[in-house]
Amino acid sequence: MDHKRITILLAVIWAIVALLPLFFGGTNFIMHILIMCLIWSVVASCWDLIMGFAGIFSFGQVAFFVMGSYASAIISGQFGIPPIFAVFIAGGITAAIGILVGLPCLKLKGAYIALVTFAVHMILEPVLKGDIGRAIGTGGTRGLLTIEPMTIFGYTFTTASPVPYFYLFFLVAVVCSVIILVVIKSHWGTAFLALKDSQEFAICLGVSAFKYKLMVFALTSFLTGMMGGFYAHYVGMLSTRMLGIDLFVTLMVILVIGGVGKFPGAVIGAFITIVVNELLSPLGPYRPITMGAMVVVLVLLLPDGIVGLFERLFSKNKHSITH
Amino acid sequence: MLRVTNVTKKFGALTAVNNLSFEVSQGQVFGIAGPNGAGKSTLYNLITGLYDFKGTISFKDQDITGMPPHVIARLGIARTFQIPQTFPSLTVEKSIEVGSYFGSQKGFDKDHVDTVLAFTNLAAKRDAPTGSLNLLDKKMLMIGAALATRPEILMLDEPMAGSNASEIIQLMDLIRRINQDLGVTIIIIEHFMKVLTELTQTLLIIETGTEICCGDPREVTSDPRVIECYLGDSHD
Repeated sequence: MDHKRITILLAVIWAIVALLPLFFGGTNFIMHILIMCLIWSVVASCWDLIMGFAGIFSFGQVAFFVMGSYASAIISGQFGIPPIFAVFIAGGITAAIGILVGLPCLKLKGAYIALVTFAVHMILEPVLKGDIGRAIGTGGTRGLLTIEPMTIFGYTFTTASPVPYFYLFFLVAVVCSVIILVVIKSHWGTAFLALKDSQEFAICLGVSAFKYKLMVFALTSFLTGMMGGFYAHYVGMLSTRMLGIDLFVTLMVILVIGGVGKFPGAVIGAFITIVVNELLSPLGPYRPITMGAMVVVLVLLLPDGIVGLFERLFSKNKHSITH
Repeated sequence: MLRVTNVTKKFGALTAVNNLSFEVSQGQVFGIAGPNGAGKSTLYNLITGLYDFKGTISFKDQDITGMPPHVIARLGIARTFQIPQTFPSLTVEKSIEVGSYFGSQKGFDKDHVDTVLAFTNLAAKRDAPTGSLNLLDKKMLMIGAALATRPEILMLDEPMAGSNASEIIQLMDLIRRINQDLGVTIIIIEHFMKVLTELTQTLLIIETGTEICCGDPREVTSDPRVIECYLGDSHD
């Protein structure tokens, strides 16, 4: 998909989402689900940027999200830094950790990067629960139960009136998606794609694999960590339960439904997946099975996700791509 | 222009390049030939910085030993690969822009990209995805992207492999034009002796990473040691 179409699609999505509180603003439960959609749309878009565009099989996205959420909660709680600044500091800390994780990944390929990054995910839970975690104030196995609420210019956001909170997350999600769009459009995006397709040829044409791979690690972990911070102040409590397999699988489903490497597919995927997941809740224990079966069917029918389907429809009309 | 001095590369017990020294002077077409596994492509990987090695390589009297590949590319050494490398996610024009944006010391130059597209006969296919190109066009594109870096040396790795007679004539014509019209020094690895004798001024023959002989292509191809390494020993 060309950049113009991506921009139009993204604008349409955000225009629709911006109007949703008009219909659901009175129902706190639905607003909470929409806020979750916004949060996961950013995290999934970041994952798509590093995996779909840059071709780096990073499985550390949930870990970066959790790091950011704990970092922001601890910074605001222990040092009295206002949450609105704490989330950006948390993003910075997560970006620094992202670069550290990225360094060994420069020497590795494909599945080995997935192993290293998933190891970070695996290590995180015992670290947060253990002595190191308690020493930095993660609350150990109990987690953090009282996190400062988000306050901007004296206004304190609360979950009791979710519409302002929705628009705060909406703003953050729009800004993050525009950042990702600008990156994809710029020479960074070209470098990511060139390195993904043929690293040897790309570096022999002057593309620094070192620079661009670390950049993508830094950028995606910054945005993910920052979003984790916003999440922490929104829900008001944290535990390591987020590191369970549920969230990880949900994010993967979002990417599959939206289409890997098909930004803004991840944004569409987030809304579909989170909403469908809630609609399936009457199924109780059968929900994950139903969700899983749907994913299998979708992967078979729509290998490039929803956005891939759009592309096929468009190209049929235009007769432009004839392979 | 390019001086390779006592370069050795070992992969474990295997010596791929063994104490090799040679010099390529400005403006010439320098050929490298040898049996499969002689270390020709490895030699390219050493010059372009993809592997580390023992010995020194200097370019325009500057020691480039140990420099990372993207820095060497920006200094003015471009290369192609034996198995055509393209960027399937990018269009033809974007692929060439990669070279211009990242590899050229003068920075991105749209006009130069257009010139390269015309030079490699790809102007009509500029918006095509690279995956849709045929083998010849893929090779042209790979050379085009390399030219977009404004190289002083272009290193071609078996550009004729898998091409038919008319494609070989087109590629030979392109190589001649790159050398004569653009003034780019060329190093070429090739198996077709006819291509080498017609194009090159100096020919280096290597076997198991060691120099067999180096000099004027007509003399080299009649050297008994070269005939022996290509056709085998006639004595029992």
